[in-house]
Amino acid sequence: MSQHSLTDLTSHCIRCGFCLEDCPTFKITGEEHESPRGRIYLVRSAEEGKLDWDEARPHLDRCLGCRACETACPSGVEYGAILELARERLGAKPATKMLLSGLTDSRKARLQFQLGAMMPGKRMPALLSKWVSGETPEANIPRVGTVREWPTVDESALPPIRGEVALLMGCVMQVLYPDVHEATRRLLRRVGYRVHDVLGGCCGALHAHSGMTKEAGDRLTDLKQQLPPGMPLIVNSAGCGSTLKESDLKEQTLDASEFLLANGLVEVIRSGREQRVRLTYHDACHLAHGQGVRSQPRELLRAIPGIEFVELEEADTCCGSAGIYNIQQPLLARRLLERKWEFVQQSGAQIVATGNPGCHAWIAQRAEEAGQQVQVLHTLQAIEMACSGMLA
Amino acid sequence: MLTGDAVRWGAAVDRAYDCDAYTVDRSAPAAVVLPSTEQEVQAVVRWCVASRVPFTPRGAGTGLSGGAMPALGGVVISTKRLNRILEVDLPNQRLHAEAGVTNSALSKAVAHAGLHFAPDPSSQTVSTLGGNIAENSGGPHTLKYGVTAPHILTVRVVSPNGEMQEFGRRVVGGPGPAWERLVVGSEGLLGVVVSAWVHLTPVPKAVQTVLVALPTIRAASDAVASVIASGIVPAALEMMDRNILMALKVAFGLEFPADTAALLLLECDGEPKQVEEDFARMLAILKGFAPLELRVASDEAERKSLWTARKKGIGAMGRLAPTIVTHDGVIPPSTLPDMLEFVYAVAAREGIGVANLFHAGDGNLHPCFYFDDRDPKQVESVVRAGEEIMRKCLELGGSLTGEHGIGVEKVGLMHAMFGPEDMALQRRVKELFNPDTLCNPCKLIPDQKGCVEHMVRWRGVAT
Repeated sequence: MSQHSLTDLTSHCIRCGFCLEDCPTFKITGEEHESPRGRIYLVRSAEEGKLDWDEARPHLDRCLGCRACETACPSGVEYGAILELARERLGAKPATKMLLSGLTDSRKARLQFQLGAMMPGKRMPALLSKWVSGETPEANIPRVGTVREWPTVDESALPPIRGEVALLMGCVMQVLYPDVHEATRRLLRRVGYRVHDVLGGCCGALHAHSGMTKEAGDRLTDLKQQLPPGMPLIVNSAGCGSTLKESDLKEQTLDASEFLLANGLVEVIRSGREQRVRLTYHDACHLAHGQGVRSQPRELLRAIPGIEFVELEEADTCCGSAGIYNIQQPLLARRLLERKWEFVQQSGAQIVATGNPGCHAWIAQRAEEAGQQVQVLHTLQAIEMACSGMLA
Repeated sequence: MLTGDAVRWGAAVDRAYDCDAYTVDRSAPAAVVLPSTEQEVQAVVRWCVASRVPFTPRGAGTGLSGGAMPALGGVVISTKRLNRILEVDLPNQRLHAEAGVTNSALSKAVAHAGLHFAPDPSSQTVSTLGGNIAENSGGPHTLKYGVTAPHILTVRVVSPNGEMQEFGRRVVGGPGPAWERLVVGSEGLLGVVVSAWVHLTPVPKAVQTVLVALPTIRAASDAVASVIASGIVPAALEMMDRNILMALKVAFGLEFPADTAALLLLECDGEPKQVEEDFARMLAILKGFAPLELRVASDEAERKSLWTARKKGIGAMGRLAPTIVTHDGVIPPSTLPDMLEFVYAVAAREGIGVANLFHAGDGNLHPCFYFDDRDPKQVESVVRAGEEIMRKCLELGGSLTGEHGIGVEKVGLMHAMFGPEDMALQRRVKELFNPDTLCNPCKLIPDQKGCVEHMVRWRGVAT
């Protein structure tokens, strides 16, 4: 998180507009006030007392926080920091606080999702959605995840243990995708690392993105106490990784794909059986724009023997999931999902790989609506399935 | 007429649309409309005419002279939802696209066929076809391929009184004058461009690019003059000065020899054999100026990174100061060294930072002032320095604009470039098309009633 003031941060924008076409909400609305340049101008105006904060609010609410604009910006404007500070200034709505308190506590989340599965239509009740977003719900309540039956790994074929790493279990991640964690553990073991699970819970990323900076800080402090000292912290959820890399844990935090690539996983993947399948990759915003991790997951996926890797058009454009955005802005989120889905279909891929639970669940929902011809997997699931000879 | 989400107003909307990329003058609209079809554009224009409400067309809002600023308030007509490519005619190397399609999207749509839309303003990834037509945009490759005008076959316009009109023809030849050229560069005064047929250019088979670091501005300017005089037509010949290098270093980590005073970026393109010959000759000429470094792009990736530096250079100026104003004037290339010395002197006198990155090959200057627009004194200095530089361009036999247009920024200087008879004729043309002066008021042609008193207000809002 930046130490600078909103005035300083916004003053770096010289309004060149080079960010416009990289902004998902500008791309679909064409409206200046739904663009990074427009939003920065509104924040600056509000900060200078030339506009009521309340007037700026709906436009900041509609921002995905995907930070694609930071990648595009030649002036290095720290948009993510501007957004978080502006949202802090505005104060989180009660509905946001309620959503986050439920989601980021694993026990509460598990209970909610189990209840949700019994709900007609598998969505949030319309009345509740109206209160949260003013719109009817689009996102299905996610299902509590299970771990698939992985084949036993031949111990004798594994390299000797050369070190130990910490793996962030996270809040939502451990409820929805314990299978991704299992795949990550298996892959880390394949390159000689033993895994220490960090159960500490939430890193505060979702709170920070909603401007609840104090809550975010508290959670981070709690998490730090769970960390075994000096161990690399491996993260397989893009949103968490991005927040941790901006905290004082930045030296030790690594996205799993970065760590695995650097530790020789490509050779391991190449030695696997041939997997004849067409696969594409969706860049999670907080991996591509938040952490600059683009090539590493692709290099790993391309190493799968027999794979037909196709690039997805607009691969690094947000799918609309964006943390809790698809609950707060159902209509815009749905339009972005449809755009993403069109490109997925154009790619002809049978598998979409991605590195973040939000994108995973949201694109998987669309795949399910389309009748399951396309499978959505976490990048590491896809790779471990390939290594286990069960991808194709 | 238009459905709910196509009409926007309110304090935030008004604020967001009160200027484009030229931030010194601001004026808020009463409402913004985002039509999706030319019929909707026509309906909005007719409503404005009937209600006597001024209207201002706007593309991406990347203009640098305030052309999309709603000078007298009223309605901003955004073309951003007119974003379809309507027809691609590959055998005849042309395509028909709506005004809101970005410049880059045109090229992308035909890249598979080895074609592109040649005008390449630095803003090309975001700026629109309609905006490029209105401003007659140029770019680095203008030196060889020309500005927007020669690439436009027809322009379809909703006229200021609400008629659909089409200028030009889809093939080469007459009859009559090239009417479409009247619209290209008219800065949105003669109507709202809704679509155009554009000519497509084959992507050159071979390209060679070099970046040269030189110890003095004088050496760089002389090198430019020698290359041009040699008869080689480079595809691009760009110059960047020391202050741009500072921004590039921070933005992209680009390092140059410590004593670099100016960088030249030169490119040759075309048939492989010709390119090889020209490029070798060009390098020989450049070596005669004792360059500190000569960096030839070894592959496409390196070429792209050299170009990123140039194209995002102005954008990167935000690393040096909160506000920039990029001026745009043209001089005969041989006067370049004197002109640059003048620019530095004016900036030094006003106490304002200036960086130069520009199309040296055709003498199109872009002094970029960086400052803080929250200080009214600095804004005044920048405006004053800009005027002085423009007058100097005219004195040297040049022009007020190469590609950014006149807009509101330089409307007051038009009298310095054109005599009273010329001005009167231009005014008559405007009145013929735009008799109520409701369409994009106060731009390009000076002395419109009601604009002078408003000018004070715009400048006031900025600070």
